[in-house]
Amino acid sequence: MASENGKKNDKKKAKARKGGKQPKGEQAAAESTHGFADQIQLAGAGQKLFVQAAVVAGFAFILAVILGNSEGDGWRRFSFSYLTAFVWLLTIGAGALFWVVLQNLVNAKWSVGIRRVGELLASNMPVLAVLALPVAVPLIMGNDVLYSWASKANVDADPVLQHKAAYLNPTFFAIRFVVYFVYWTWLANFYLHKSIDQDSSKGDGSEQAASMRGISGPAMIGFALTLTFCSFDLIMAIAPKWFSTMFGVYYFASCYQAINAVLPLILMWLQRSGRLKTSVTVHHLHDLGKMLFAFTIFWAYIAFSQFMLIWYANVPEETLWFKHRFADSWGTLGWVLLFGHFVIPFFGLLSRHVKRSRKALGFWAIWQLVMIYIDMYWLIMPEESRQYLDVNFKLIDVACWLGVTAVFVAGLAYRARGIDLVPTKDPRLPKALSFENI
Amino acid sequence: MSDEHHSKSSEPAEAPLHGILAEYDTPHEIVHAAEKIRDAGFTKWDTYTPFAVHGIDEAMGIKMTILPWIVLGAGLSGLATAIIMQWWMNAYDYPWIISGKPLWSIPANVPIMFELTVLFSAITTLVAMLMLNNLPEPSHPLDLVRRFAHSTDDKFFLLVQASDPKFDESETRALIDSTHPQAVELVPEDHKTSKQLPSVLIYGLVIVSVASIVPFALAAKGRYSHSTTPRIHIIQDMDSQPKYKAQRENPFFADNRSTRPVLEGTVAVGEEREDDHFYLGRQADNSFARTFPAQIPLNDVTMERGKQRFGIYCTPCHGQAGQGDGMVAKVADGLQQGTWVPPSNITQDYLRQMPVGELFNTLTNGVRNMPAYGPQIKTEDRWAIVMYIRALQRSQGAKAADLPPEARASLH
Repeated sequence: MASENGKKNDKKKAKARKGGKQPKGEQAAAESTHGFADQIQLAGAGQKLFVQAAVVAGFAFILAVILGNSEGDGWRRFSFSYLTAFVWLLTIGAGALFWVVLQNLVNAKWSVGIRRVGELLASNMPVLAVLALPVAVPLIMGNDVLYSWASKANVDADPVLQHKAAYLNPTFFAIRFVVYFVYWTWLANFYLHKSIDQDSSKGDGSEQAASMRGISGPAMIGFALTLTFCSFDLIMAIAPKWFSTMFGVYYFASCYQAINAVLPLILMWLQRSGRLKTSVTVHHLHDLGKMLFAFTIFWAYIAFSQFMLIWYANVPEETLWFKHRFADSWGTLGWVLLFGHFVIPFFGLLSRHVKRSRKALGFWAIWQLVMIYIDMYWLIMPEESRQYLDVNFKLIDVACWLGVTAVFVAGLAYRARGIDLVPTKDPRLPKALSFENI
Repeated sequence: MSDEHHSKSSEPAEAPLHGILAEYDTPHEIVHAAEKIRDAGFTKWDTYTPFAVHGIDEAMGIKMTILPWIVLGAGLSGLATAIIMQWWMNAYDYPWIISGKPLWSIPANVPIMFELTVLFSAITTLVAMLMLNNLPEPSHPLDLVRRFAHSTDDKFFLLVQASDPKFDESETRALIDSTHPQAVELVPEDHKTSKQLPSVLIYGLVIVSVASIVPFALAAKGRYSHSTTPRIHIIQDMDSQPKYKAQRENPFFADNRSTRPVLEGTVAVGEEREDDHFYLGRQADNSFARTFPAQIPLNDVTMERGKQRFGIYCTPCHGQAGQGDGMVAKVADGLQQGTWVPPSNITQDYLRQMPVGELFNTLTNGVRNMPAYGPQIKTEDRWAIVMYIRALQRSQGAKAADLPPEARASLH
């Protein structure tokens, strides 16, 4: 399947090169792409970004491996750091996929001009699948560094794990893992390819729009199920004796927050480098800001709902997980989340002026991305030291984060080669361009 | 068409002019017209459209509404109300422990905080929006303009009021004409319709308001007045039944008691406990027995049973080895409350010397802080526990020499 995608991409690339060769100067290129009065190709900046990101990723991973090896704990610290960084990154990829499906599902018009950026982010899914391998492969091979239930010896010694073995076993995990990433990759590619087809469409592009909308309903159901179980498998199963049916929604809240933070940042970066100057206005950023604000509340709502049911019922097997996370410095981190991930950004993002100011919106977008990382850290890291020792943030955490993020950025820059950043032939584009927001 | 209308409506000149109304076909046109009127510096004018037109605020030069600030204030009031209300109700006025949570427990209060924040915000949004829009407005001169009915359907209107300081009938008319309206009409002041709300509505509101006080008045009366008549018993259910209830008079019996005393010599099922050794741990002379009763087989099965029951009932305080270091004792020690009597180390000497009957009696009836376990643990099981305690006492003081040779060999 991968090779097939590769071929298609190459064809696209060739077509793009033949069709509209870009002049070097960006201002000069402003009116050249399909007669669309805006600079909508990454062109040289994409190559530069790819090289920079690849170099950063290389150094970061070398540093992470050296640090991980020097810990001398059988790669335990490295694995936990890496998993934290990876699930943080996955919030962006999965969030982008959800966002794209959602725009099609509701036939959104305001977002058509920025849809392609979301599609490119989502179609980076194969990169995420590869980045997931350091987590998934040891598990499937029966290594218990991250997931105690992966090892047969641990399961044999623990009746609870035996009871859960029907679901929590390496073989079934491998099947699920493949299902998640194959489904997401397929879905993201479907949307990107249909959307690119639309660019060179002979008709008015409504055929592709209808086709993308047609599949979005079932696709959304499939996405909800896969994301829920993926969050169970990757994060909740770190502590295999704890369970919360709400966990999938909790992780989803972070996903949708992440995409609504990343999209404004990417759009602002593109605009600063002279692209999408007229295609994206303050009205689009304002709407993304509204979503970021709304899902700040949604995250708090879900996080509290999950906590309150467990707190009220007070069943030991459920409360223990929270007890570890409320003790000592992990408890402090919990307070940081309550105020930093909800109360402060709630008031920060409340005002209309903030959401319409590039600087302020950019600040809060970065703030929330940091908070999502802290949230993932708080979910995963307490299990790292088996005695639930204090928070111990290390350089290796930064190195892992930088490594996976840089690989993602490089993949994104590579993916965006020769692709228009605006779906110029979409029949709804004029409405998106003249979109006004109160 | 516009000329025809103009001549018609300007004929009845008795009513003073309220303003000039212009009609447009598209939202684009009215936005364009609004910009012109705005730039001409008018202040008393408005537009009327069938739906919210994007960009009209800016085109009209309307300042941002203060509604968000009002809603923010209302939301925060709702939050504060919820916190104070729950503190006052649950922790102050009527302290009541629910589900073993603290009297004033923030997590339990959060849903109500959320609800009241939303409720206050939502109601305030609606009411403040109406007030900021000067609604309800019982009458308006535009109500008498027939074509204005299209403002809720397919036309877009712009009205410049004559009371505007910049208003001049011919100049303003020329300005409006320059925006190419579909039609222009002079709107006279409305002196026919009353500015008052209809009296039926006012009386209706008064009656409803008064009536809504009645239930509260009745409740207040019920709280602060006394009555000698029995309460009205609307739903009888099974309150009245043709039988005698406990503690009631019954003339059938000579002593008039409906509850009959037990006959002399009655023994309830399972209550026949003649065997003092087995049931009380005492010998015939009432001293504590030094032997186990015949009903208790002194074998591994009893010992295993005793170990298991000991684990369930005794270890929380006395600990696994009976040293008095169970989890309850540890926690209670940590609290340092002074009233705590620590559980005994049951392997200490005076308890080793204690007759089994006395240990059994302690289990049955309790001692110091220790509650009576007679009602909880079956008699056979209490004896089994005593047997296990004897084994514990033996094992805790044991020396290596006490072990059988083969077990001693495994120590090395």
